[in-house]
Amino acid sequence: MAATNSKARDGAQRGARGQVLSRLDKWRSYRHHHQTTLKSSTLKILREPLQSLLTILVIAIALTLPAALYLSVENIRQLSGGVDASAQISVFVKKGARDSALKSLTGKLEGLSGVASVTYISAQDALDEFEALSGFGSALQYLDENPLPDSFLVQPLLIGDAARLVTEIRELKLVDDVQLDLEWLQRLDALLDMGRKLVLSLGAALGLGVILVVGNTIRLAIQSRRDEITVVKMVGGTDAYVRRPFLYSGLLFGLFGALVAAILLTGLGLWLAGPVDKLALMYQSQFSITGLGFRGVVALLLIGGSVGLVGAWLAVGQHLRNIQPR
Amino acid sequence: MSMIRFDNLCKRYESGYEALRGVSFEMDAGEMAFLTGHSGAGKSTLLKLLMLIERPTSGNLLINGKNINRLPHSKVPFYRRQVGVVFQNHQLLFDRSVFENVALPLQVAGYSHGDIGRRVRAALDTVGLLDREKHNPIALSGGEQQRIGIARAVVHKPKILLADEPTGNLDPQLSAEIMALFKRFQDVGVTVLVASHDINLINRMDMRIMRLNQGQMEQDGVSYGGY
Repeated sequence: MAATNSKARDGAQRGARGQVLSRLDKWRSYRHHHQTTLKSSTLKILREPLQSLLTILVIAIALTLPAALYLSVENIRQLSGGVDASAQISVFVKKGARDSALKSLTGKLEGLSGVASVTYISAQDALDEFEALSGFGSALQYLDENPLPDSFLVQPLLIGDAARLVTEIRELKLVDDVQLDLEWLQRLDALLDMGRKLVLSLGAALGLGVILVVGNTIRLAIQSRRDEITVVKMVGGTDAYVRRPFLYSGLLFGLFGALVAAILLTGLGLWLAGPVDKLALMYQSQFSITGLGFRGVVALLLIGGSVGLVGAWLAVGQHLRNIQPR
Repeated sequence: MSMIRFDNLCKRYESGYEALRGVSFEMDAGEMAFLTGHSGAGKSTLLKLLMLIERPTSGNLLINGKNINRLPHSKVPFYRRQVGVVFQNHQLLFDRSVFENVALPLQVAGYSHGDIGRRVRAALDTVGLLDREKHNPIALSGGEQQRIGIARAVVHKPKILLADEPTGNLDPQLSAEIMALFKRFQDVGVTVLVASHDINLINRMDMRIMRLNQGQMEQDGVSYGGY
């Protein structure tokens, strides 16, 4: 009894002297707690594989859907980018225009804003080309005169400018008719715009879904560790200390979900690449699918991680306050 | 200077129930006292005020000369690191070893790995359970569990040790041992306040006894062999 008594006294004295922790000690233990928390959070996810897998898969699917849609939109835009180059306006000139008038028309066309280039095609050139390509060459011999007018090919800088250019060109003197055969391209452009907005709204909705899923998972984790939280708070654990393991869990769930999503998207890309290449070959196009890429994977991980963290943060903020020592 | 000072403290819960009605007392550093009274007399509320689980409705609560009535929420954890608490149901965590249970207050406060090992073993040695450090507390007897709870409460050398019915579930023999343990901490300068309604045991200890009745201090003094 006397021996343990003196031991307790020794301990108290030693304690009184060693009570003050240096800043370095605190930083070391802070870092150490981060490391051990990260390790234990990872272990916890692995220890309940089925439950964790379900959560991770839900997150992965919620990330895959908008990301796949985004990739589709981007790919279609690239495809339509190739068509942009052929978005030309044909300008037909009234018959019998003099050379000087044609020259001033060329200048006027080139002076319009949003015009990339202007190419003059004389009536004779057009006829020669028609003879060569159509196979009606001999039939054309019977015509008294060239039925084709002089024309210009106007290349707009942007497809979006084409409609405005058509109306402006129509106003010009000597212009007989203007044709723009690319209204479908404009429709595609509008569709792509809609697609991008769909990606955003779908992404926002599913991102919210991920936050809720992570939040619910964390809420359950908090409930199952209620006793531990109570004791930790009682012995002087700060809110940050109590929060830390749950934030790590949320972050890890988000990151794992994003990783699975990246794998799914890469698989989807590989699966589609073959058929798309075949199709492109048939259309004599160089087009091939653009996948997620390194930057895409990094972006996906960033988004997944931060969404998981936010979900955990919200759940922790709401539920930890309710757990107070009794 | 007194370590604990209650100055006309009142606690009224939102339901309108008045748990404490103008309680005043002082305890010096290194003093030990028992808090007794019927259940519902306000013992638990008084301890909760000392742990800053509850805040007083009116009056002043001074710890080591500092008024902690308005201690901001963010400072509460640091205050609690100066206080050790022993619960009736000991509140040990059964998902970890005895060592890890006792180490918790040190981990929370940011002690180094080596320091934790040394201090935990010293605390376990003090309660006589050094050989149990690797056990799971669920495998220990009630008395041993309570001693582990005490080791956890004192491992960080608190200035104040609070105990809420620490012998509630124990037989008289074990209860006496636990009380003797508390006395040892008083001997090394810790201020010890034990809430208990085990009148027989308390009276045998020749200690200061504060008796609460319906939220008021009914009696405060040293008993000499019972009253």
